[in-house]
Amino acid sequence: MGVRTNYETELQNLKGDIGLLSSMVEEGFNKAVKAIVIRDYSALEEIIDRDEEVNRLELEINENATIMIAKQQPVASDLRKVMAALKVASDLERMGDLTVDMAKSALRMDGGLEKNQFKNQLMKLAEMTSIMMKEVLHAYERADILRAQKIAAMDDEVDDYYGDFLKEVIQTASGNEAEDMMQLAFIGRFIERIADYCTNVAEWIIYEVNGRRFDLN
Amino acid sequence: MAQSLLKKKKPVMAENKTEAKPTVYDTKKLNLWYGKTHALKDIDLEIQERSVTAIIGPSGCGKSTYIKTLNRMVEMNPEVRTTGEVQYRGRNIFDRNYYVEELRTRVGMVFQKPNPFPKSIFDNVAYGPKIHGIRDKKILKQIVEKSLRGAAIWDEVKDRLNENAYGLSGGQQQRLCIARCLAVEPDVILMDEPTSALDPKSTLKVEELVQDLKKNYSIIIVTHNMQQAARISDKTAFFLNGEVVEYEDTNLIFSNPNDKRTEDYITGRFG
Repeated sequence: MGVRTNYETELQNLKGDIGLLSSMVEEGFNKAVKAIVIRDYSALEEIIDRDEEVNRLELEINENATIMIAKQQPVASDLRKVMAALKVASDLERMGDLTVDMAKSALRMDGGLEKNQFKNQLMKLAEMTSIMMKEVLHAYERADILRAQKIAAMDDEVDDYYGDFLKEVIQTASGNEAEDMMQLAFIGRFIERIADYCTNVAEWIIYEVNGRRFDLN
Repeated sequence: MAQSLLKKKKPVMAENKTEAKPTVYDTKKLNLWYGKTHALKDIDLEIQERSVTAIIGPSGCGKSTYIKTLNRMVEMNPEVRTTGEVQYRGRNIFDRNYYVEELRTRVGMVFQKPNPFPKSIFDNVAYGPKIHGIRDKKILKQIVEKSLRGAAIWDEVKDRLNENAYGLSGGQQQRLCIARCLAVEPDVILMDEPTSALDPKSTLKVEELVQDLKKNYSIIIVTHNMQQAARISDKTAFFLNGEVVEYEDTNLIFSNPNDKRTEDYITGRFG
């Protein structure tokens, strides 16, 4: 048995809370994409409401981490684990906010995406981002830096795809459709930002493991 | 391949190296034996002036032995044998023609337990200068005040300079010992667990004092309190079984040490 069993348990609990937060954010994102496509009002409203829970859990993680720093005074890799948890929790909370922004934009649109010519493209963008989210959260759980480093390449693909998507949306935006197209462009932008936050999480994984900061963005 | 995905490398905050300062002590391949016990093994350590160097490590790792070597106090034990060099300001202190008295005037020491003389506060501080031949009362008074101010205890004792030093609290006694050390204007101050017998408030006072003193003195401190090393030192040396495992900037030691044994020790996994 290690010397600092209590501390190890507290660290595991902290990681467990991050796991819970990430599954809430991931689930929210996937639900939001579905609801946007079929324009499910009540689902969109629910996504906006449930952000409160994400915020509350992030605060709880912050408080637990602060207490750990104050009471256990961790150093070296112990400290980096706590710092990484704080940063990852904050990035996840931002992803939750962006999911809310996606839902709000969808509510401002006149029609759903069922017949929209950009439906497949938006779904593809969301799928790429959803895979990134899953990958990076797996990497965080296992402190797997090789997996984390691959996130950068995935983000490049999302950025390129988003660039093309945006160009086409802008070219199409005119007349009655202009407002909807603008909201659609916003939704695309929010998804692309979520992918950026995934790379932030990947950077914190690298920091946690080897103490170095890389800019993967 | 994964490395090539990393586009840009930012410097790590913890790697902000402190600027290089002149060397005050240069230890080269120092070995020390107590009889048959090999207490220090091939120590190579360069200590910079006007900075705080912390020596950490578990009990029996050789850290106290090392700092007692720096003023040759370790030789009080007749069984001690050394090889290698300890250069102080460029001169090997083990040279036959090196006067140990001269070394100890330049290198003061503060111990774990405050050890004032059974004399008045004033005489405790004036003792060293008097031995060095200063007799002028006015000058002695000036030295005493300056030293007590330097040790951040003047305001607490200025109205009771003729009282016995034993009447002071533990924390005050320790700062008095630091003042006594400052009175002979040393170059280096060695501190062997100077706060381990003090309460938290007195500990913080001594720590603040150390921060202040490093502007004018080179300080080498042995401490069991890792957080203290992290708080007050510029560089930290981690000793284990008589060897220096790692000697680095304190910021780096406590955020991202190189050696697994350092990591395990500072995170409380052993020792």
